[in-house]
Amino acid sequence: MLRGCGRGAAAVLRGAAGSRGASGQERGPEPGRPLEPSLLRFLVCPLSKRPLRYEESTNELINEELGIAYPIIDGIPNMIPEAARTTRKRPPAEGSEQP
Amino acid sequence: MAPTCKRRVSGKALANGSVGVIYQVFENVAEKYDVMNDSMSLGIHRVWKDILVHKMNPSPGTLLVDVAGGTGDIAFRFLNYVRSVRERQLQQKLRHHQNLSWQEISKSYQEEKSNPLGDSQVVVCDINKEMLKAGKKRAQHLGYSEGLSWVLGNAEELPFDDDKFDVYTIAFGIRNVTRIDLALQEAYRVLKPGGRFLCLEFSHVSNPLLSRLYDLYSFQVIPVLGEVIAGDWKSYQYLVESIRRFPPQEELKAMIEDAGFLKVDYQNLNSGIVAIHSGFKL
Repeated sequence: MLRGCGRGAAAVLRGAAGSRGASGQERGPEPGRPLEPSLLRFLVCPLSKRPLRYEESTNELINEELGIAYPIIDGIPNMIPEAARTTRKRPPAEGSEQP
Repeated sequence: MAPTCKRRVSGKALANGSVGVIYQVFENVAEKYDVMNDSMSLGIHRVWKDILVHKMNPSPGTLLVDVAGGTGDIAFRFLNYVRSVRERQLQQKLRHHQNLSWQEISKSYQEEKSNPLGDSQVVVCDINKEMLKAGKKRAQHLGYSEGLSWVLGNAEELPFDDDKFDVYTIAFGIRNVTRIDLALQEAYRVLKPGGRFLCLEFSHVSNPLLSRLYDLYSFQVIPVLGEVIAGDWKSYQYLVESIRRFPPQEELKAMIEDAGFLKVDYQNLNSGIVAIHSGFKL
């Protein structure tokens, strides 16, 4: 099921002008990938409305500037600011570990 | 019936209507949501939602954000609708082309198979994790996978970029938002220019006789149903009271206009028990 979505989403992402920068990165549809890839096209930080980076290792969406991370649980991103800030607060310096 | 862990919500807390309390109400009702909707409205809520999607009349390729759409009722109807429109489009195409080679005909069928939704997409956004989980489970059960995503988010602070969606819907959700004006502003922000706002919500019945019968039903029958079916009188009493507190048609129309929407209008269903408000970002 997810593989099928990945294929369709990959096509969509290729078609889209890809101007969103941070969030539209490499697409390898892996089986069991928790987050719906096409969602990244729409999601931004609810506070700053800036693009987010998907961190695969921790399965989170990270706002580098504000130094906060939104968790993804069961494939559903939790974009409630209160929940993210208190449980996953990281200093902005840590966000410099770019792939 | 599966054992449920429900927290009893005090009547006083409910009356204050704080966000946390409202959250608990929906945590309680999430599991029984669909069953209760059918019982309370005698199944008519399905017709209301059908009418909403028909009014939307989405064409394939439409991007919809369904806010407070927890269990997916609107999202599934949207997907069904665009799928059937797309099927009809492809059939029309075949019919209008005379002398097609067998290759061209089979290519057309392949097109339909590989892209049955025509790139339509719906993002379901809800503040309540339980409602989303229930919706996701339902989607799997009913076989919906393509073009459907789930996001935990707050209608007053949407995690979406500006000018993204063709249509924004909020069905039976806006009355539970604390700051309706903020939700409307967010709706305006995330819609593309030319995008449409659609709100399906309980409203006010002006006919005095009908209004009395409706009140009787709401206050005498619904909480009882809530207790019998979901074991939760208070949550359903809250629901009934929240309906009474909600602004009537004209007032909601004014609020929608305040958010910047144009050509705002409403359509009463069942004499105003329910109303569909519509506006455009122009």
